[in-house]
Amino acid sequence: MNGAKTCPTCGSEVPADFKFCGKCGTRVDGTTSSSSSVPAAKTMYFGTNQVPGRAKLIVIKGEGMDGLSYQLAGNEHIAGRSEGAILFPDDPLMSPRHANFIYRDNKLYVRDEGSVNGIFMRIKVPTSIPSGGLFLIGEQLLQVEPSPPDLGPQPDSESTYFYASPKRPSKMKLVQRLRGGEVGMIYRARGDTITIGREGNDVNFLDDPFISGRHAQLAISADGQMTLTDLGSKNGTFIRLGDETQLAHGDYVFLGQQLLRVEIA
Amino acid sequence: MLPTLKGDLVITCSRCGKENQDHYKFCLGCGNEIKPAPKPATREPAPLETARTILPPEAKPAVGSLGNEPTPLPTLSPPAPGKSKGGIPWNDSPKMPITPSNGGGVASGILGAATPPPLTPGSTDAGNWAAPRPVSGTPQAQPAPVPTPSPAVVASAPAAVEGTPCPNCGRMVPPGFAFCGACGTRMNAAAAAAPSPRTMYMSAPAAAPVPRGRIILIRPDGSEGGAHPLHDGENLVGRSQGSLFEGDLYLSPRHAEFQLGPQGLVVKDLRSLNGVFVKILGEEPLESGDVIRIGQELLRFEIIAPPTPLEDGTEVAGTPNPGFWGRLSVVVGRDVDGSAFPLFGDAIVMGRERGDILFPEDGYVSGTHARISLRDGRVYLADVGSSNGTFLRVRGERSLPTGSFILMGQQLFRAEYK
Repeated sequence: MNGAKTCPTCGSEVPADFKFCGKCGTRVDGTTSSSSSVPAAKTMYFGTNQVPGRAKLIVIKGEGMDGLSYQLAGNEHIAGRSEGAILFPDDPLMSPRHANFIYRDNKLYVRDEGSVNGIFMRIKVPTSIPSGGLFLIGEQLLQVEPSPPDLGPQPDSESTYFYASPKRPSKMKLVQRLRGGEVGMIYRARGDTITIGREGNDVNFLDDPFISGRHAQLAISADGQMTLTDLGSKNGTFIRLGDETQLAHGDYVFLGQQLLRVEIA
Repeated sequence: MLPTLKGDLVITCSRCGKENQDHYKFCLGCGNEIKPAPKPATREPAPLETARTILPPEAKPAVGSLGNEPTPLPTLSPPAPGKSKGGIPWNDSPKMPITPSNGGGVASGILGAATPPPLTPGSTDAGNWAAPRPVSGTPQAQPAPVPTPSPAVVASAPAAVEGTPCPNCGRMVPPGFAFCGACGTRMNAAAAAAPSPRTMYMSAPAAAPVPRGRIILIRPDGSEGGAHPLHDGENLVGRSQGSLFEGDLYLSPRHAEFQLGPQGLVVKDLRSLNGVFVKILGEEPLESGDVIRIGQELLRFEIIAPPTPLEDGTEVAGTPNPGFWGRLSVVVGRDVDGSAFPLFGDAIVMGRERGDILFPEDGYVSGTHARISLRDGRVYLADVGSSNGTFLRVRGERSLPTGSFILMGQQLFRAEYK
């Protein structure tokens, strides 16, 4: 945020023309910035932000407003609902110990600590997505699965054949995962791609205000490799991370319900 | 994608040269046991897309053309799979002139794999167990020259004119045949003793009690095929239980038990692979896990449970439920689902052309076909005037009023009892 100030009391970023911190109400118009009420610890805190190569995580609130920020000053930083330095006690989608932000060779990585709901990162380029891979679009949690090879009719141990609906070959399917884990809808691709958005796509979520008209596309290649592409959406497309992943300045990461922006000085 | 049908399975009897349908155990001409011919590639049933149907007799004329091609749906129907079903040859059977007695089974084309052979072709009542009506005057009274009957046949040929019901399975056996083509029972003893089929039928009780009920095969064209007797007590039905069923590879060997008692008829699914489906009449309460058949579609209904947090207090993330209370999944294989449709609001209508869930490629689904509704916390299934009916898989067991339509394997039946 251009010209943003940092609240001396709570550390929140405050837009330049604000006189009071939106978070805690502290006066930030400069007249009191040098007042004796500024805790020394906060000054120290601000100072660590200047360390080259060190990062901070900024919690993004609605409409792009920045909320709390967390300095990643140590080597490892656990985030979770009840464990670690980065705490979100009120987020039911956060596991007690959810993620770890780690420095190695002066690079920042994030690692899933075995959380239930995982870590999602906003994709910047077409990204390969594995079988069963999950991604987030607006409020939709979606999963993509390639179709298993058609083995033809397979009789059971008594040589009885299974009766099923007529075969309508499809290369992959898109599964909507509802909160709580239930499956909502399943869409089967008619061709090599599935486009997703609010209207005019293969799959449309008319009631999801966070989804752009044309939001994202899934594609499957002849050899079964699947790729997820963001089509210039406003809110982005987030893919669930499997392995430990390096973070760069400007990356967006979802933990539970928290959207965090990575800033590396 | 669709295997061609030309490989219609015919086995030529090594002894008398007669052509028999693939699933016969015994030659129609001489009773010689037919060895399952060493078939090169497949012992597969007819392709799924073709070998199924449900067309109860009351089907409307408009649906009579079902077999040819689902009504083209200019706006709705995506082309690909439609093409695959183009050749459903239900009604193509007459393409071969009906050759009496030996041609019947073959002429039925793909049906051969799914339906028992009409033993007296030309009569729609051919195999009707209870009504061996004299069909005097119809051509098949004079069977085509039976190709070189074996000595055995000559020796034992009864003088019956219109065919004789098999004393074992009740199938009509054309005159001159020494063995029932369906079950292999030797015909001569009973037949010789019977002056006419009529008398034969009447005298049958002497040997066995008169069956009080029967399961009648309903052919794809709506006519009645053969019948399977239902005696008081337990009647086992399955692929290895009676001629009506033995060719159907979608039936388990022991598929279902029909219990006929003073209270009526009860069908019990013997944990068969494909289950027993009953055509629903009114509104049926649905339970999570219930399986439904409309047209060719096999659908599974499930209730969507409200989310509950895990033990450590974490909730599983996902799309906020916009009010889905159920889900209907298209079953495309064992433990494999195809599309799935969420159920929400008061009611969801399924159909080929109109409704909330569409099956534009399934010509056996009516324009609007069935409805699933939520009322007072309960879910109900109802047919909304479809041609082919809505079928619900029997959970455990279920009582059947007389006249009930039942789907088992690839065939449709009607259960009747006094």
